[in-house]
Amino acid sequence: MAKHSIMVIDDEKIVGDMAKLSFEQDGYEVETFLNGETALKRLEERRFDVVVTDLKMKGVDGLEVLRTVKKLYPGVVVIMITAFANLEVAIEALRDDVHDFFPKPVKIKELKASIKRALGEA
Amino acid sequence: MKIEHKIYLSNAVHILLIVLIGSFALQNLNQILTKFRFTVIAEGLNATFLEMRLAEKNYFLYGDAEALANIRGKIEQTGTTLLQLRHDITRAVGTEKYDRLQGYLEQYAVLVASLDSDRPPDPVARHKLRQTGQNLKTFSENITALESERIGAIIVHSKNILLYSFWAVVLFAFFFSYLTVHNIGQSLRKIVDLTRSISKGNYQRIEGKPSGDEMGAVMSAINAMAGELRKREQEIVQSKRLASLGVLVAGVAHELNNPLNNISMIAQTYAEVYDGLSREERIGFMVRVDEETERLRLIIHNLLDYAKPKEQHLARAAANQVIQKILSLVQNMLDISNIRIRLLLADDLPDIYIDEHQIQQVLVNMVTNAIQAMGQGGELRLTSRYLAGEDEIEIEIADNGKGIAPEFLEHIFDPFFTTKEESGTGLGLWVSYGIIKNHQGNIRVTSQVGVGTTFVITLPSCKKLKRCDDGEA
Repeated sequence: MAKHSIMVIDDEKIVGDMAKLSFEQDGYEVETFLNGETALKRLEERRFDVVVTDLKMKGVDGLEVLRTVKKLYPGVVVIMITAFANLEVAIEALRDDVHDFFPKPVKIKELKASIKRALGEA
Repeated sequence: MKIEHKIYLSNAVHILLIVLIGSFALQNLNQILTKFRFTVIAEGLNATFLEMRLAEKNYFLYGDAEALANIRGKIEQTGTTLLQLRHDITRAVGTEKYDRLQGYLEQYAVLVASLDSDRPPDPVARHKLRQTGQNLKTFSENITALESERIGAIIVHSKNILLYSFWAVVLFAFFFSYLTVHNIGQSLRKIVDLTRSISKGNYQRIEGKPSGDEMGAVMSAINAMAGELRKREQEIVQSKRLASLGVLVAGVAHELNNPLNNISMIAQTYAEVYDGLSREERIGFMVRVDEETERLRLIIHNLLDYAKPKEQHLARAAANQVIQKILSLVQNMLDISNIRIRLLLADDLPDIYIDEHQIQQVLVNMVTNAIQAMGQGGELRLTSRYLAGEDEIEIEIADNGKGIAPEFLEHIFDPFFTTKEESGTGLGLWVSYGIIKNHQGNIRVTSQVGVGTTFVITLPSCKKLKRCDDGEA
């Protein structure tokens, strides 16, 4: 069976770096992006099994990434992480069928468990 | 005294004066009328006396009985007239003169009665009669002349009194109006000045104790309004501060959570992948932790800087000198970035009253932003000018850098708002804004993408703040 692929988008470089190290340890294929624009461009080229995205980013934000993914690949799971979110934003994300919602600081184990559930591995 | 009462009093004084003058004039006219009536009567009497004397002469010359009867008729006629007009005559000349006149007439009548028409009178009686007739006529003529003279005197006197009263009333009216209008005018000017200054946001009170009249009441009301407005503005400022505190808290949560999350993720991953890491890689992890803590420290430092503004050390300063000083601080940055500087400093600037350290901080912040917006090359223009109308100075920092998009421009003074990818905390302009506002100044910004950005700082002159004589506050 081919490796599952994960896209990680966060304007904080460390988030991508650490997620990549940790996820690859578990046998996932990981690509990281520092903003929404480059991520959306990459999504036009290929599909990922899971998209983990920061919510608040300059330019294309997490909600826009979520909508684009759902449009291009309706089956793909999107997990949102955010440093600060109010209820309205969370509700909006849920309406757009977000799979999970993690406030920062993120527990990587929980994030991985959520990914596993999404991929039907748990 | 209230203006209302002043006007009542003035009217009362005017009415009193008019009544006094009127009654005086009326009294004089009555007097003149009485005297005039008397002179008319007296003229009649005088004519009769003259006829009596003529008849008397005829009688003596010709022993004319008809002349004697004529005299007797005249005496009777005059006696009746005197009795009939007794009231008018006594009113005009007094009882004594009336009695004397009547006395002379009676004397004359007695002498005439003793005459006999058939025989001529003896020389003694003749002389006596002549003498008495002469007395009667002369006395009557004298009092007539005297009364005519009196009428003239009364008219002259009345004319003078009327003239003086007229001027007195005119002068009183003029002075009273002048005093009242002058006082009201002065008070109104004060009120106009004050309301002007209030509308400019300067909530000062009218100095001194307000007068007891309506103007004083208006001034007290305006003073109360100024106080109330000042309180309201403070409340608005406070609520704006609270609103910006809300923005701040949201920003703080986001800004602090990011480095915290980074540290947390580094720690979690470090533990997870520890075995597969080289010594250098492990050090690399720790360096990144250190960098993130530094980032946190900087955010907290800047926050504290704003939240607890250090005590201001205000002093009189020359704006151009402050600009020159910060240039030496940023010269190195300008050189590295290859940026030319153009100074357009006005030489008529009044001194300002500032915390020089804080204003330097603001200017350095603006210049640093400009340098970062220009990247390599470009021209930084620093202009100072005096706005004589507002008594304020303006410092303009203009760059020809990349500019700020309109949608960002309205947020650039918000806390944690930054257009810089990595290096900004988003607090610099926010802090600068607070400092300038604390100096009763203002910052405004204009920008065009691809053309450049211009920041304009305005600060009141020390004269406007009435602080030119102050050293350290």
